[in-house]
Amino acid sequence: MRFTIKQTSCSGERIGLLSGFIKSPNTTIETPTAALLTQGGSVAHLTADVLSKVFSNPQLLWMPLSSMAHLETGAKAQGQGVAKFVALPEHVVCSTFHNMNEETPQGHFESEKVPLWTRNGKKMITADRYMDMMEVFKPDIFLAIADGHTSLDEGHKRIVKSVSRTCNMLDVCVKRYKESKQLQNSSLIGVVVGAGLPSKCAECIQQIKKYKNTLSGVALQGITDGTKESYKEPIEKIENIFKRVGDAVPKDLVRIAEGCWNPAIIVAAIEHGWDVFGGSYPLELTNAGHALVLNYDVNRYSGEACVLDLNDTSYRDDFTPVLPGCKCLTCRKHTRAYIQHLLNTKEMLASVLLSIHNLHHYDQLFYHARQHIASNTFSVFKSHITKQYDVAKTPYMNGKHDSEMTDIEHLKKKVKISNEEIINGHNIMNGIA
Amino acid sequence: MRSGALSFNIKKECNVTKARSGVMKLPHYEVKTPVFMPVGTQGTMKGLLPDQLEELDCEIILGNTYHLGNRPGTDILEKVGGLHKFMGWNRALLTDSGGFQMVSLLKLAEITEEGVKFKSPYDNSEIMLTPEKSIEIQNCIGADIIMQLDDVVQTTFQDYNRIKEATERTSRWLDRCISAHQRPTEQSIFPIVQGLLNKELREQSAGEHMKKDVNGFAIGGLSGGEAKDDFWPMVSLSTGILDKNRPRYLMGVGLAIDLVVCVALGVDMFDCVFPTRTARFGCALVNTGQLNLKQKQYETDLNPIDKDCTCQTCKNYTRAYLHCIVTVESVACHLISVHNIAFQV
Ligand SMILES: [Zn+2]
Ligand SMILES: [Zn+2]
Repeated sequence: MRFTIKQTSCSGERIGLLSGFIKSPNTTIETPTAALLTQGGSVAHLTADVLSKVFSNPQLLWMPLSSMAHLETGAKAQGQGVAKFVALPEHVVCSTFHNMNEETPQGHFESEKVPLWTRNGKKMITADRYMDMMEVFKPDIFLAIADGHTSLDEGHKRIVKSVSRTCNMLDVCVKRYKESKQLQNSSLIGVVVGAGLPSKCAECIQQIKKYKNTLSGVALQGITDGTKESYKEPIEKIENIFKRVGDAVPKDLVRIAEGCWNPAIIVAAIEHGWDVFGGSYPLELTNAGHALVLNYDVNRYSGEACVLDLNDTSYRDDFTPVLPGCKCLTCRKHTRAYIQHLLNTKEMLASVLLSIHNLHHYDQLFYHARQHIASNTFSVFKSHITKQYDVAKTPYMNGKHDSEMTDIEHLKKKVKISNEEIINGHNIMNGIA
Repeated sequence: MRSGALSFNIKKECNVTKARSGVMKLPHYEVKTPVFMPVGTQGTMKGLLPDQLEELDCEIILGNTYHLGNRPGTDILEKVGGLHKFMGWNRALLTDSGGFQMVSLLKLAEITEEGVKFKSPYDNSEIMLTPEKSIEIQNCIGADIIMQLDDVVQTTFQDYNRIKEATERTSRWLDRCISAHQRPTEQSIFPIVQGLLNKELREQSAGEHMKKDVNGFAIGGLSGGEAKDDFWPMVSLSTGILDKNRPRYLMGVGLAIDLVVCVALGVDMFDCVFPTRTARFGCALVNTGQLNLKQKQYETDLNPIDKDCTCQTCKNYTRAYLHCIVTVESVACHLISVHNIAFQV
C-alpha cells in the first residue's frame, strides 16, 4: 500500500490517497476518510449485496480482531485472506486488535500478553500469536498489537506499563513482518498509546520513528477504554492530543484515529492532519435507532438538530424521508414513519435501513471535508460542523449513547425470537416433528 | 362480488394430475402461479429490502392483519394510503383475517357468534374481532387479496360438534365479511374452506362457498399436526369441489414435499413462515432437507449452501463463513433468508 499526500494546507489538514494495493491495483481511497466497521467480518447489518447498493466503489473495512478471531479456522482452510473469506474481496481491509468502542474488563494482563475479549471469552495474545493470525487473515493494512485500551484518566503506573508493553510488542511485530512471506502485500501500522501522559506518549512515538522505513502509518490509541465516561472528555482536551501527536509523527505516514468520535471531534482531528477514522460512530447511531442528519451546506443552516431519534413516536405519521434530498437508498424509498414502525416492532430491517442512511451520510462528511480542503475553506466547514454539535446538544456529544445496554446485550436482543414468531411458526414446527 | 380486482388465466394443465400453471392478474402485480408467498408479519420480511425481494422474484407477500392493525395501526395506514406505500412494496400483497393469530396467540380467546373476544397482549384491554372489524382493517391495509374471518379450531381437535359449529359459523361469517367489504373493485376476498379432517363437513363448506360470487378460494385448517395420509385427501377433496377457473390458496402449508404434492392436487398458492423463521436458527433449506450451519462439520466447508442455487448468498458466501456468523450477526440471518426464500420461490 502506498500513501501519497496530494495537498497540505498551512494549518495542517491534508488530502491524501491510499493506493498500490497488490490484490486490486486500480483501487484508490481518498483521505480523509472513515472505514466501515465490521462485526464478524461483515459490515454490521449489511450483506455484501446490500453494501454494493450503498457504495459502488471499494471501501476501507475496519476489522477488529476481537470480532473476527473465530474466523481463523475457516480463513486458514480457504487460504486467501479474510476479505475473500467474508465475501468482500474487492474491499480493502484494515485490521486492528480491539474495537475501541467496546468496553472490556479491567486488568487481566500478563507480561508480553494482551487480553483479547471475543464472544467466546478471553484469550491471552502474544505478539507472535497475533502475527500468526495476521498471516492467516492477510489484511491489506494492519495495526501492530498494542496495549492501548486505556482512558486519559488512567493511572500513571498503568500507562507506563502500556507504553513499555506496546514498544516491546512492536519490536516483535516488525521482526516477524520483515520475515513474513504471507504479509508481503500487507502494510504495518505503528500504534501510539498512553496519550494521557505526554512524556510516555513521546517515548512511544520515538519507538515508532525507529521503524519509520518499515511502517506505513501510525494509529492513535490510549484516549479511550471504550467506556462512556472516557468519551465524555471535553472536546478541547481531545483536540490537543490529536494536535500534539500529529505534530510529533513523521509527516509522510498515514495517520489513523481509532475510537467512536462524533463529527465535531473528527473535523478537529482532520485539521491536525489525521487521515483515517474507525467507523464506530454511524453504527452506534444505528444501534440506538438514531439517524445522522448533519447539515453540510455552509451557506444554509438554521439550527436544526443533527441527529434524529427515530424511536420517538412523533415520527409515527411522518411520511418524509429521513433526510429530504439525501440520495441514499433508504431516503429514496422509505419514510421516517416506516423506520419508526420497524424500531417499534424490533424488526431487523430498521437497522438495515438506518445503516444504509448513516453510512452514506457519514461518508458524505468526509467527501465535503475533502472538497473544502481542496478549496482552502476547511476552517469554515469545521466551524459549520462544530456549531451544529454545540447548538443541537444531541445525546451524542461524543458518540456514546446513554443506554446502559452493552454490545453483548444488543446481540442477545438481536437473536431473540419474538413471541409472535414462535407461535406463528408453531404449527409448522409440529408438522416437522 | 366477482370483479376486476383479480383475473386468473390458466396457461397449462397437467394431463395426469390436477396441477396447473397460470397468471393471476392483481391490481399491483401479475403473479405467476403456482406461487409461494413468504410471510412478512409486521410489514417487513426479516431484514430484507423490498429491492432484494424483487430480485428474489417474489411477486406476492403476506402480511398479518392482527399485527398490522396494532402496529403501525389503521390510523397510520389510512393516512399513508395502505401497506404498499407504507413499506415501499409495489408488487402484490395478501392479508390474513387475523383470526388464526388470535386463536393461536391467545389461549384465552373466546369465540362467540359475534366474533373472537380476547385480551390485547399490548395493553390487556378486551377486544372483539368481528368479521366486520377484520374486513375494515384489511380494507385499510389495502392488500390485493384479503381473507374472510373464519372460526378456527385446532387442527388436531376431535369433537365433531365443535368442528361442525366452526364450519357452519365460518359460512355465516363469510356472508357478513362480504357485505362489510368496502373495496371490492380493488381487493378480492377469499372464503376459507373449513371442516378440518371431516369429509362431509369439508364438502359442505366448499359447496357453500362455491355458491358465492368470489374471485378465489382458500383452504384452511390443514397447516400442521395431522398425518400426510389424512391431510392430502382433504386437500384433494376441496380442490375437487372448488371451481377450477379460480385460484386456490392452501393456507399455512409450505414445506417442499407438501408443495409438490399439493400442486399436483390443484393448489395455486401457498404461504409459510418456515423459510425465514428457520433462517434465524442458522438452518438453510436444501433439496435433501436442511443444513444446520451451526454444526462444526461446516467449519472448513468452502462450498456454498447449494452449488446449483443462483441466489446472492450462494453466489458469494461459503458454508464455512456462514458457520462463523449464524445466530450471532444479523447479516447471517439476512443471508440465509435470501437463500431460503430463493429455494421456496
Ligand atoms: Zn439518506
Ligand atoms: Zn442460495
